[in-house]
Amino acid sequence: MSDPATNTPETEAPGLDFDRDIGNFHYDTKYEHDAGVGLRPETLDYIADVKGEDDWIRAFRHKALKIFESKPIPTHWASKDLEAIDYDKIRYYLSTGQRPTRSWDEVPDDVKKTFERLGIPEQERKFLAGVEAQFDSEASYSNMKEELAKQGVIFVGSTEGLMEHPEIFRKYFGKVIPAGDNKFSALNSAVFSGGSFIYVPPGVKVKQPLQAYFRINAENFGQFERTLIIADEGAEVTYMEGCTAPKFETTTLHSAVVELVALKGAKIQYITVQNWSANVFNLVTKRGMAMDDAEIKWIDCNIGSRLTMKYPGVVLRGKNSRGEVLSIALAHDGQHQDTGAKMVHAADNTTSTITSKSISIGKGRATYRGLVTMPKHLQNCKNNTECDALLINDNSCTDTYPAITVRGDGNSVQHEASVSKVSAEQIFYMMQRGLKEEQAMSLAVNGFVNDLIREFPMEYSVELKRLIELEMEGSVG
Amino acid sequence: MSALEIKNLSVRVAGNDVINDFSLTVPKGEVHALMGPNGAGKSSLAKALAGHEDYEITRGEALLDGRDIVGMEPDETARAGLFMAFQYPSEIPGVSIANFLRAALTARLPEGETLKAPAFYKELYRAMDELKIDRSFTSRPVNEGFSGGEKKRCEILQMSVLKPSFAVMDETDSGLDIDALRIVAEGVNAMRGPNIGFLVITHYQRLLNYIVPDKVHVMHEGRIVKTGGKSLALELEEKGYDWLKSELTPAEAG
Amino acid sequence: MSLDRNQPEVADAGLGSSSVFQECLSGFGWAAPWIHKLKQDAWERFQRLPAPHRKDEQWRFASVQDLALDSFRLPVVAGDSSAGVPSFDAIRNASARMVFHDDALVEAPRLPDTLREQGVIYCPMDEALREYPELVREHLLTRLPGIGSQKYESLHAALFHNGTFLYVPANVEIAEPFITVHWSGLDDGTALFPHTLVVVGDNARATVLDLFQSVDPGTRHFVCGVSDVYAGAGSHVHYETVQNWNLNTVAFHLNSASAERDAALKSITVNLGSAHTRNEQHCRILGAGASVDTDSLTVAKGTQEIDQRTLQTHSAPNGHSDLLFKNALLDDARTIFSGLIRVDEVAQQTDAYQTNRNLLLSDTAEANSLPGLQIAANDVKCSHGATTGSIDDTNIFYFLSRGIPRRMAEELIVFGFFEEIVSRFDNDELSDFVRELVQNKFRN
Repeated sequence: MSDPATNTPETEAPGLDFDRDIGNFHYDTKYEHDAGVGLRPETLDYIADVKGEDDWIRAFRHKALKIFESKPIPTHWASKDLEAIDYDKIRYYLSTGQRPTRSWDEVPDDVKKTFERLGIPEQERKFLAGVEAQFDSEASYSNMKEELAKQGVIFVGSTEGLMEHPEIFRKYFGKVIPAGDNKFSALNSAVFSGGSFIYVPPGVKVKQPLQAYFRINAENFGQFERTLIIADEGAEVTYMEGCTAPKFETTTLHSAVVELVALKGAKIQYITVQNWSANVFNLVTKRGMAMDDAEIKWIDCNIGSRLTMKYPGVVLRGKNSRGEVLSIALAHDGQHQDTGAKMVHAADNTTSTITSKSISIGKGRATYRGLVTMPKHLQNCKNNTECDALLINDNSCTDTYPAITVRGDGNSVQHEASVSKVSAEQIFYMMQRGLKEEQAMSLAVNGFVNDLIREFPMEYSVELKRLIELEMEGSVG
Repeated sequence: MSALEIKNLSVRVAGNDVINDFSLTVPKGEVHALMGPNGAGKSSLAKALAGHEDYEITRGEALLDGRDIVGMEPDETARAGLFMAFQYPSEIPGVSIANFLRAALTARLPEGETLKAPAFYKELYRAMDELKIDRSFTSRPVNEGFSGGEKKRCEILQMSVLKPSFAVMDETDSGLDIDALRIVAEGVNAMRGPNIGFLVITHYQRLLNYIVPDKVHVMHEGRIVKTGGKSLALELEEKGYDWLKSELTPAEAG
Repeated sequence: MSLDRNQPEVADAGLGSSSVFQECLSGFGWAAPWIHKLKQDAWERFQRLPAPHRKDEQWRFASVQDLALDSFRLPVVAGDSSAGVPSFDAIRNASARMVFHDDALVEAPRLPDTLREQGVIYCPMDEALREYPELVREHLLTRLPGIGSQKYESLHAALFHNGTFLYVPANVEIAEPFITVHWSGLDDGTALFPHTLVVVGDNARATVLDLFQSVDPGTRHFVCGVSDVYAGAGSHVHYETVQNWNLNTVAFHLNSASAERDAALKSITVNLGSAHTRNEQHCRILGAGASVDTDSLTVAKGTQEIDQRTLQTHSAPNGHSDLLFKNALLDDARTIFSGLIRVDEVAQQTDAYQTNRNLLLSDTAEANSLPGLQIAANDVKCSHGATTGSIDDTNIFYFLSRGIPRRMAEELIVFGFFEEIVSRFDNDELSDFVRELVQNKFRN
C-alpha cells in the first residue's frame, strides 16, 4: 500500500484544481515526531520540546488547555454533532522532523509528491508571491519572492515567527483572539503548530497573493495551525489558503486560529477555499482588528468538511475603518456548513458589510449566524448585511440566526435575508434552449452566487464555478 | 419529410383535455399562423410540443423531420431542432446572456467538444448586429429586469444564434407596443428561408401585418376548425371570433 | 413562621411559595378534578424548571435580575372590588365588555340576546370553568407559546383564576369587538394572572381586545398573562392588545395564535407600559392556506425593557404569515426582538415574512435584533429584514426649513413610523385611543 491513491485527478484541468475529490489520496509518510494519541499536559510539553519553545509559550499552552477543559461543548446553540469528536482518539502532533525548505527539491519525496499532485508548485510559478505548504503539523516548504524579503516582508511559520521575531509577533499573538474566546480557540492555543506569521512593513504593498496550503495526511489527526498577519501602517497584503485531506473512515479535526491586525491605513484581504473531505470537523476562529482607516476583508468559501463552524469577524477599533465578509457555503448531503460573520464596531464612522450566500443540496444544511454590535456613544457607524439561501431539493435545510445590537447616535444597521429555490419554470426555460436539467440547475446556482464569485481573484473564481458545477452533479431528480 | 407534423395530438393539463385530436403540418420554408380565441388551446400546444411536464400528451405524435418528439425531455426536443419563443420568458438572475447562449450551444456539440470563445463571439455579434442589438446587452443577466420589449428581443436573439429547424412563437406579440412588434417581426423575417419552419401563435391579426404567413389556421376548443390564406386573418379581425363560433355550431351538430 | 429565623426561607417566600399555591387552589374547591390536576401538575413543573439565564439562547440580551417573585402576593378580594376603578369609555362600540380589577370581575358582560341565541359565550374565565368545563377543557392551556418562558407558563397555569373566555360557534359573524379591560389595583405588590381564551368556530368572525392598565402609577405589580386565540377553518379573527401597565410593573404576556385551514388571523400588540415586559407570540399555521399577520408597536422610554420573542410555525402547506414589529426607543430604554420563522418539511409553498424596525431616538437606547429563519421545505418564499437607525438629519432639516420645531418634527416622524400599524386596527376608536396613548408617552 505504498500508493493507495483512490482517485485520478483530471489531467486536462489547467491551473488550480478544486475537484471535490482531488484531495482524496494518501501517500504513506514516515514521521520523526509523534505526540501520540490523546490530549494531556505531556502532549503540550512534547510539542514545546520538539519545537524548542520559550517558557512563555509553554505556559501559554498549559493555561489554554485548562480553559479548554473547563469550557462546555457549545451544543446549547451549536450542532449536537460536535459530541461526535473524541478528543482522546486524536493525534495532536506529527512531523517529519524537517525544517521547512526554500526549495521544492529539498522537500522529502513522499511529501513533495503530495503537493505536486495538488498543483502547489505550479501555482507558485504562475501567480503567487510566496507559498507555505503545511503537511500535518509543520510546514514542509516555505518560500517568498526575493524582492519582498528585501522590502522587509516576513512570511514564516508560527514556530519560527514567535522565536525569531518576538518583538513583532508577541505583541499581537493571542490578543485579537484570546485563548479563552471559545472552546476551540482554547484547544488551538494549547496545541497549535504551523500556520503563517506574516509582517508587512509600513507602506509596502504586496501585489501578488501569499498562499498557504494546508494538507492533512494522517488518519485520526488534528491540525491546529495558527496564523497571525500584521500589516503595518499603509501596508497591503492578500493571503489565500486552501486545504484538503484524504477521505478516512474516522473523523479528523481541523481547528485553526487566525488573527489579523491592520494598522492605520493598512489593507488585508484573506481568502479561504475550504475543501476538506467529508470526515473533517472544521472548527475555526478567525478575527481581524482594524485600526484607523484600515480595511479588512474576509472572503470565505466553504465547500467541504462534515461540520464547519466559522464566523470570520472584524473588530473595528479605529476611526473610519472598514470590515467586510463575503461568504459562500455549499452544503451537500451529510454536510452542515454553519458559517457567518461578526462585526464589532468600536470606533466612530466605521462601516461593515456582510454578504452571505448559501446553497443546500440534498439533505445538506446551511446555517448563517451573524453578530453586529454598535455600543453606545459611537457615531455614524453603518452595517449592511445580506444573506440569501438557495434550496435545491425537497429535503434541503437552511437556518439564519443574526444577532444585532445597536446603540449610539446616527448608527444604522440593515439586515435582509431571503430563502428561495430554483423555480421549475426557470429550469424548463433553460431546457427548452437545449440544456440538460443538471446543466440548467448548475447554471441557475452559478447565477445565484455569481456576484460574489466575481470578488474572488480570477484564478480562484474560474475554478470555483467549475467546482460548483461538479457539486451539482447528481443533485437533480 | 422535412416538416413539423402534428398528428392526432391530444393533451391533458391538470385533468382537463385542452387539445383534442389536433393535426397540423408545417413544411420547412413556410410560416403558419395559428389563431384562436383565449382558451382555444394555442399556448397549451406550444408547451406540450416543448415537453413541459405539466402538459401530458395522451395521444398522437409530433414529428420533427420525421422524428417523434413526444415523450422527449424538453432539452432533447430543443436539441432536436425545436425552438419555442416564450410568451413569458423566465428571468435567470446572475446568468449573462452570453454565458447562457454559450452553454446552450455547447450542449449541442458532441460529448467532449468545446466551443472556442472567438468563434462563439463572432457568431453572437453577427446575430446582434443583424438585430441591431447593442453589444452591452450580452453581459446582462437573462431577462432579469428586462422590459417586455427587451425580453422578446432576447428571445429572437437566442433563436437567431441557436438556429432551430422549427420555431414556435407562443403569443410573442402579446403586450408589445408597435415598435417591439416590429422587432419580433423583423427577426422572424430575417430568418425566414428554406431551412426553417415557423408556427406563429397569436391572438391578434396585427402581427400578421408584419409577418406574412403562408397559411392561417384557426383553433377552437383544442382543434383546428378552419384553415385558409392570409385573408382569413383579416376576416377574423373584422368579424371577431364569435362569428367563427356561430358558424361552427351547426357544423359540429352535424 | 417568622420566629424561625434560622431557617432559610428564600425558596418559600412570596409568590413562589407553596402556601400561595395552596391559597389559590383553595379558591377552586368547586372545580372539577381535572382542573385540580392541571394546576397541581403545573405547580410541580414551575418548581422543577430552572429560572431563566441570559446564556439561554431564548433569553439572550434579556435582563433576568428583576424577575424575582418573593415580594409579590395574590390579591385579596374583599368587599366591593370596583371601588376606585376608573371608568373606561374610550371605545364605545362593542359587542360586549367586561372589566377586571386585580383579576376580580368588577363589570360583568352584557351579551346581546341575539348573540346569546346564536350560542356565543363571552364570560369571565372562572364562570366558564364552572359552566362550560368540557368546552374549556378541550382548549385550555393546550397551545402555549413555548419560546423560553415555560417556567412562567407553568406559574400562570398554577395560579390563574380569571380572565376572558370567548366562544363563537361556527358560521356566526360578529363585527363589533369584545373588549376586556384589566386594571391592576391600588394595593401594592399584587400579582395578576389574566387568562384569555378565544375559540372561533369554522367560518365565523370575531374581534377581541384586551386592555391592560393600572389604577395607580406608583404601585408595584407582577403580571403573568397568557392568551390563546384559536381560529377555526375559514374563520376571520382579530386579536388586539394594548399593554399600558404602570412603570413599576414586571409583566409576562405569553400569547399564542393558531389558524386552521384557510383561516385569517390578525393580531396587533401595543406595548407602552411596564418596567420590563416579556412578550412572547407564537403564531401557528395549522391548516393549509391559513394566514396569520402579527403586528406590534412599542414605545420604550426611561429604563424600560421590552423583550419580544416571536415564532411563526408553518406546519401545513400554502400558508402565509407576515410579522412586523416596530419599536421606537428613547432615553436608556432597551428592546429585544427575537423572531424565528420555522417552516416544517410538509409546509411547501409557504410565504413567510418577518420584519423588525427600530427607531433610536437617543444615543443611549439599545435595540437588539435577532431575526431568524429555520427552513426545512424548499418550495418557499421566506425573508426577514431588520433595520435599526435614528431619524435622518436631512428629514429633520426638511421640517425645520418649513418652520416646524425639532421636537415637533421628531414627533411627527415617529407618528409616521407607527401609522403603518395604527391604521391596521380596523376600528377608528381604537386607532384614536392608541394614537393618544402614544402621544402622551412622548410628551410626558
